[in-house]
Parts: sequence; C-alpha cells; structure tokens
Amino acid sequence: MIILFVVLPLIVAGLLPLIGKVSRRVLPDLLANGTLLFLLVYAAVAGRALIAGGPVLQQSAWLGEAVNLRLALDGFSLLMLVAVSLVGLAAGLFSIDYMEHYGAKANYYALYLVMVAGMNGLVLATDLFSVYVFLEVAAVASYALVAYGLGPDELEAAFKYLMLSVVASAFLLAAIAVVFGMTGSLEFAAVAAALKELNAGAVLGIASACFLLGFGLKAALVPFHAWLPDAHPSAPAPISAVLSGLLIKVSGVYAMTRIFLNVFGLTPALSTVLMVLGAVSMVVAAFLALGQKDMKRMLAYSSISQVGLIVLGIGIGTPLGIAGGLFHLFNHALAKGLLFLNSGSVQQATGTRDLAAMGGLAKRMPVTAATNLIGSLSIAGVPPLNGFWSKLIIIVALVQAGHPVFAVVAVLASVLTLWYYLLIQRQAFFGKLNEKWAAVKEAPFWMTVATVLLALLCVGIGILFASTVTTWIQPAADVLADGVHAVTGSWGF
Amino acid sequence: MVLQTALLIGLVIFSVLAILLKDLLKSAIALAAASLLLGIIFFRMNAPYAGVFEISVVAGLITVLFILTIALTGAGHDVRESKLVNWVFPLVFVAFIVIDALVMKSLLGKVPALPSGTEAGTFGDVLWKGRTLDLVGQIAVILAGVFAVLALFRKRDKHD
Repeated sequence: MIILFVVLPLIVAGLLPLIGKVSRRVLPDLLANGTLLFLLVYAAVAGRALIAGGPVLQQSAWLGEAVNLRLALDGFSLLMLVAVSLVGLAAGLFSIDYMEHYGAKANYYALYLVMVAGMNGLVLATDLFSVYVFLEVAAVASYALVAYGLGPDELEAAFKYLMLSVVASAFLLAAIAVVFGMTGSLEFAAVAAALKELNAGAVLGIASACFLLGFGLKAALVPFHAWLPDAHPSAPAPISAVLSGLLIKVSGVYAMTRIFLNVFGLTPALSTVLMVLGAVSMVVAAFLALGQKDMKRMLAYSSISQVGLIVLGIGIGTPLGIAGGLFHLFNHALAKGLLFLNSGSVQQATGTRDLAAMGGLAKRMPVTAATNLIGSLSIAGVPPLNGFWSKLIIIVALVQAGHPVFAVVAVLASVLTLWYYLLIQRQAFFGKLNEKWAAVKEAPFWMTVATVLLALLCVGIGILFASTVTTWIQPAADVLADGVHAVTGSWGF
Repeated sequence: MVLQTALLIGLVIFSVLAILLKDLLKSAIALAAASLLLGIIFFRMNAPYAGVFEISVVAGLITVLFILTIALTGAGHDVRESKLVNWVFPLVFVAFIVIDALVMKSLLGKVPALPSGTEAGTFGDVLWKGRTLDLVGQIAVILAGVFAVLALFRKRDKHD
C-alpha cells in the first residue's frame, strides 16, 4: 500500500478545511500531526520489509477496472520518504504553537499536507512526466506557504520564487519532451533501455543541459540560487525548515540524481559538471552567508552551500561518494530543519531576525540555545555529530577518487561553515544579555519538543553512524551506484 | 504545408508579441491569439483533444481570467522595466532557434514512430488507465490551488 504515502495526506488535506469549521485548533493539530506520525512509522517500520525482496512496484485495479498506478519504492526512495516524514513531523509539531498567531490553521495544515504528498509522490514516481506533475504539486503548495504571512516581503518572495520555478518547469518540460521524442517513452526503465540502444550523444546533451538548468534552479545551486535567500527566510519558520531541509533536496537533488544516475547513466562529463557546480555553490554561498545580518538569510545561504556539498559528493559517482552525499543529504535535512525551527523560536520570542539586535539569549532560552548549538556544530562537521561523518565520507571519497583539490576545497568550505555558525551562536545566544530581552521566555512546549527531537537525532545518528549508514544509507547508495541497471534490471513491469 | 508554415510563423509572432508588448491587455490578447493558432495546429496534427483543451482553456478561460484581473487592478502605473530585457530576450530567442534547429535536425531521423490512433487506445483509455497516477497529481494540484486561494485571500487577523 505504498500509494498511502501520496493519497493519505491528500485525503486528510481535503478534509481539514471542513474540520476547521468545527474545531479551529485541536482537531487540525491532531489530525495533521497524526497523519505525519503514521507516515513516519509506516516508512521506518514497514519500509525496509517492503523493499527487502527488491524494489516494490504497484500496479493495481480499482473497482474492477485496470488502473495504472505505477510506484516504485527502492532504497533511495525509502531514504527520502523517511527524511520527508521525519522532518515533516518535526515541523508539524512545531507548527502547533508557532502557527497559532497566523490564523486559519486548518488551511495551513491542508497546504502543508499537499506539499508532503507532492514530495512523496515525486519520490515514488516511475516516469518522467509524473516527476514533473508531483514537482508542481509540491511547488504550488509551497508558493502559498511562503506567502502565508501575507506581508509585502512574503508576497514579493513568493512571487520571485514562483517566477523562477516557472522557468525551471519550462526547462524540465523541454527536456522531458526531447527525451520522449528520442525514446517514445516516459517510463524510467523504458527510457533507460532505449537510450542504451540509441546513439544520441548531442541530443542527450541538450536534454541533460535542460534538466540541469531546471533541477539546478529547484535545488538552488549557484548560479541559479537567486530565489532561495528571499523565499526561505520569508516563509513561516516550520515552512522554511521544510523548504530548506526537504523541498530543495526532493525536487532538486533527488529528481536530478534519479534521472542522471539511474536513467541517463552518469558520464564522466556529467560527473565533472556536477562536481564543479557543487563545489562552486559550496564556496560562493559560504562566503555570501558570512556577510549576512539576518539569521534566517544566513541559514538560507548555508542551505545553498550544503546542497553544493551534497551534489559534489554524489557527482563523484563512486559508491563511497554517493553514500557520503546521501548521508549528508539526510543529516542536513535534520540539522537545517532544526536550525530554521530555532530561528522561528527566536523570532517569535524577540520579534526580530537581526543578529546584531540579539545577544545573550542563552540565558533566557537555554533549550533553544543548546539545540541550536547542536545543529550548528552538526552542519559545520564537528565530531561526534552526524554532519561530521557525512562530510568525512565525502572528503575521503574525493581523495580516493583522485580529486584532492576538491577535497581541500570541501575542507576549507567546512571551516567557513563553522565560522558563520559560530557567528550566529555568539551574536544570538552567547555574551551579555541584551536588556531588551530580559522578559523573553523559552519557546512553548511543542516548539521545544520539535527542536529537541531533531537535536537528539543529530546526536544519536552521530553516535550510531555506522548502523545508520548500513541500514538506511547503503541501500540508497547501492541503487544509485548500480546506475542504469537499477531501473532496467529490476524495474521491469 | 504552406498553411502549416503560416500557422507556425503566426504562433511564433504572437508569442513574441505577448512577451514584448508593454500593454498588459494587448499582451493577453496576443497570447490568446497564439494559443488559438496552437490549437489549430494540434487539430491538424491529429491531436483533437489537445486542440480542444488548448482553445477552450488557454485561449478561452485563461484569457478571460487575465482580462478580468487586468480590469480589476486598473491601469496607470508605469512599471519601470530593466533595459536588460530588450537585449537578453532577442539573444535568448535566437539561441533557442539555433539549438532547436540543431536538435530537431538530428532528432528527426531517429524518432521512433509513436503509436497513434486506435493502436494507442482512446483518449479516455490513456488518461484513466495509462496515466492514473498523474490524475492523482492533478487532483493534488487543484487542491493546492484551492487552498492557496483560501489562504492568500483570508482575513489578516492578529498577524501583522
């Protein structure tokens, strides 16, 4: 029943505005978070059993009529499903208290669940056009969520985000049309098989370039990143957490790697392009982050930088590099989700995102300060936290694959990362308490629960990194390292 | 062939006009004309359903929505546009034509014959039985659109 990952959030989303008429707060909170919890438990508990005998595919009949519901769940999709459910649940719990003052909570959760359904659908899709459809599902919901505060900044950021996403969609559609024209199919397995037969280097190059532009925009790789530093900070904090933690990875990194590695097959040229794009994003965005005064904007630039590192890792193309990239994707989803949620706690308590205006908040908000420190150190790659291990794997993979220059660049970018995260920590939380904040209190219960949950995961995965890698990361990396064979071999319908 | 070429050239001209015209109303009408021509091209290329949707939804419904919105927002405010657009657009347009010509040239010989007519099944078969998952996605897009309208046009209580 893997279709539940798509259909259940949609059904609940459809009911929520009606339920919102009866109960404005309690029922929507309960129902939305209950759904997210169910999906997390289902993915984490049943998922591994489902994929144990090879990728699960589904083609079912409905009311006696043959319908074509083709979904595939393999190691890579399962990792993404777990990440989506986990960060989705944490942000959902955080919303219970945080979204209180925005109003229309039932409607908010409805949009939120549609976005989750879109991401889940994209991860389970087996053909190029379905990828596009679910990418749009998640995107349309996210435009509204970015603008949810209805302030001029939010609306402007959402509009900019919409416009650049439309450009991305146009490139993706062009690429899909070219691939369909070449192969006569949209199905991953059939396209991969047909491309092997065809010797269409130049045309495939054009399709790859269009995909790269489209997914590059979605993943906000430099130089396609202009929308992200506006869109992510403007959204309400739990939405920033999901956008930075999940959406850019699902609709950018996941879709791109699935198509490039499993459908097109990673060529040395493509590998080089990905590594260079990744390295440039990592370094440029790290420098841009250093200059930011706004806490959420700094986090947004950091997301671009870390997505660069993920793409660099996956772009190496070796099994170790891919594993490192995917592990960092998972770790960054948790840690960046945590940091954006914390920025929400701080913004709600103080009413500002300006780092210079903060100071000494650790005395008034000890839990937020502590979890923020864990998230920061995790992304910066300080042992024994989870981010350290994934960065280490990527750097080892770079050296092993004969790219010492990229490895040095990655280390230097990590140092920069540590630098700007310590800036946040020092300016916002440490030092003398700014008198203005004498009356500030710790974040409300559910907001604290959400951040503590993610912080504990960052620590726990850091300590238990070996078993996390073997249980969740390795099966995902195996699928990607298997290349085209992963879909042509076992995905035959 | 002459008619087809004329239709295609008309499509390109009206599309370019839709982008370049400064007056929003004229721009919307140019877009409607472009999509009307595209609809006719679809009909002539044996894709009647695509033609019907193109003409009724894009040329009809969406144009009505555009004109309604333009009428509601009122004119008079000149938006200062970047001069860069005047340079970039023709450049990108020419680059696109060149790439398109190159790609199509190498594609044409290789495109396998796609099933058409009865071989591929009826429109309904393809939509309901072939692309069922996309229908789920379609429902989700509509839900997202409805909730987005509800969210963006709600009363701004409390939050400032």
